[in-house]
Amino acid sequence: MTDRHPPYENEGDPILKVKGLEMHFPLRSGMLQRQVGTIKAVDGVSFELHEQEVLGLVGESGCGKTTVGRALLRLYDPTGGEVLYRRAGGDWVDVTKLKRNDMKELRKEMRMIFQDPFSSLNPRLTVRDIIAEPLIIHKERRGAAITERVAELMEAVGLKPGYMGRYPHEFSGGQRQRIGVARTLALNPRLIIADEPVSALDVSVQAQVLNLLQSLKDELRLTFLFISHDLSVVEHICDRIAVMYVGKLVELAPSAELLRRPRHPYTEALVSAVPPADPLLKLERIILEGDVPSPANPPAGCVFHPRCRYAQDICQREEPPLLETAPGHMARCHFADELELHGVAYAAE
Amino acid sequence: MSDIHAAAAAQATIEESSDSYSQLVWQRFSRSKAAIVGALMVIMLFILALLPEFFAPYNFYTSKLSDSFIPPSEIRFFDVDGNFLFRPFVYRSELVIDPVTYQAKPVLDTENPHFIRFFVRSWEYRLFGIIDSDFHLFGLDSEDARIHILGTDRFGRDLWGRICLAGRVSLSLSILAALIAIVIGSSVGLISGYYGGKVDNLIQRFVEVVMSFPELPLWMALAAVIPKTWSSGQIFLVMAFIFPFLRWAVLAREVRGKVLSIRETDFILAAKEQGASDFRIIFKHLYPNVLSHVIVILTLMIPDIILAEAFLSFLGIGIQEPLTSWGFLMKSAQSLETLGQNTWILTPVIFIVIAVLGLNFLGDGLRDAADPYSNL
Repeated sequence: MTDRHPPYENEGDPILKVKGLEMHFPLRSGMLQRQVGTIKAVDGVSFELHEQEVLGLVGESGCGKTTVGRALLRLYDPTGGEVLYRRAGGDWVDVTKLKRNDMKELRKEMRMIFQDPFSSLNPRLTVRDIIAEPLIIHKERRGAAITERVAELMEAVGLKPGYMGRYPHEFSGGQRQRIGVARTLALNPRLIIADEPVSALDVSVQAQVLNLLQSLKDELRLTFLFISHDLSVVEHICDRIAVMYVGKLVELAPSAELLRRPRHPYTEALVSAVPPADPLLKLERIILEGDVPSPANPPAGCVFHPRCRYAQDICQREEPPLLETAPGHMARCHFADELELHGVAYAAE
Repeated sequence: MSDIHAAAAAQATIEESSDSYSQLVWQRFSRSKAAIVGALMVIMLFILALLPEFFAPYNFYTSKLSDSFIPPSEIRFFDVDGNFLFRPFVYRSELVIDPVTYQAKPVLDTENPHFIRFFVRSWEYRLFGIIDSDFHLFGLDSEDARIHILGTDRFGRDLWGRICLAGRVSLSLSILAALIAIVIGSSVGLISGYYGGKVDNLIQRFVEVVMSFPELPLWMALAAVIPKTWSSGQIFLVMAFIFPFLRWAVLAREVRGKVLSIRETDFILAAKEQGASDFRIIFKHLYPNVLSHVIVILTLMIPDIILAEAFLSFLGIGIQEPLTSWGFLMKSAQSLETLGQNTWILTPVIFIVIAVLGLNFLGDGLRDAADPYSNL
């Protein structure tokens, strides 16, 4: 375990720079579908991804983390911000401004793994057709070469190529997710956005799929944006972790640092929910009061203040900026430096 | 080492064989007895309608007015003296006017039994316009008597043969009409559901207008304006277009609903993520997943159209001689007097009932079987 988590160093060059990404959905109602409001699902999210890095994006359901992933791949058209991506050739492109054909070209390099392996595979297609689809769409291979490549991919993700003619319903959840991973790898991507790739799976199978992703990452030199609601899943695979709350990043830090010494009260609460590796260890579990505010009507000031146990007057009035509180450690809290928040004993120590 | 590879290859070929979608559907379908019975009823009618010349003992186009309204022949195994004869036979019957009441009464010629023979050669026909034949399922061994198992119509034509022939028109017309409705309805539904938004809104409002149209008067009006001088082929085609005229709208609704539910699933999103074109998403991902429901709707729409066609033809609108359909055959039953004396002219009803029931059973069975993954 220990060697997998070196203290985070900025190993690779940036491959993706997200600047002020916004995804606002209009809220319509009535007969005439008049716009009555805006859901700020993603509201000014900025981060950088470095080559061969795994960045975890965590938060409660509904905080906009999946929307970030989909907006990055233009499955939704972002309403604001920039997504700069460095192509294999070295030139930077703004993903949000690409034309349809250029975007199609980029889809070879940026891929996604979907959350639910039961609904993300077309039940009417065989495994071969599912994995071969990106090859066919991008005209990468033809005829027998397709089958060959599919067999290769199936082996790479730990499936028997002999199962090629089967249909998705004949596989277990873990196997289906492997099919999904094989499909994602078909075009030799550089950046993979994994949208809760294990949250639909049994715990025992989660570890298998996580290990697979980990080894594929090392083998194929992949960069991951790993979206999850589960810190205990993310801590094993991620170099850095970004925490989202109601459409905004509230904290971004190297994994070890974030878990050991969170700088945002929300992160503290999340971290306290991670089951400790030592079953005898009794930790204080922070239960957050109240509900997540609606992104259509977020509270004034700091979005977290209604649930924050350290909230002061200033929190209701002023929205704190995302500031670097320690090297490589960003937090969006007025008292990031003052508060002594509790983390967990990190496995790597 | 090569052994291992060979073994792996053998293993692979075994594992490759798996249940395809159609096999799964068949497994589920065959579990339902009603569905199987329905399928058999439909297949039986299809065979009759496909080869009416083979099943008809007499040419169903030649009329013989002296044979008008002959009641169904009684098929016997015992002669008048109670002796068992090994072959089924009929007695020749002749109408004799009762001198007192002036009613026509059939009198049997019990002297000569006429045996029924199977696979006989009699009148010549050309099957599907290519195969010349004079082979028939059954007939009598002599020319002196005639066998009409369901009696004859006003023009002395064998009703059984006419029913087989009418089945051809009734079934093919309703299938063609349902297919046209399916093609229009599912295309509109796919477009409406997939693109959504303004397109969807516009299409759905139009669909509502179409659905609010009263069907029967429109059909009657359309069928009534067909010029009588048109050839039977033209009339057939026009009729096949009249029935889907409003029916496609219901279908467009259903397909749209199905598309809406599938459109939001992850595999459609995954296809977009892979860079698939709209065309590919619609035809590779959406349509195959909607198709099973479309087939179900198709099988349930055919009986509707059979009934509608029978209704129109019964009223004498639409199908004209020399074409005939089940409803058209019953046209003479409009006169209560004729009906009262010759009740057998209503036998096409039985065939309509079999067709409608059979197709409904089949459609219900298919609907249950169409989603074999739901229980897995």
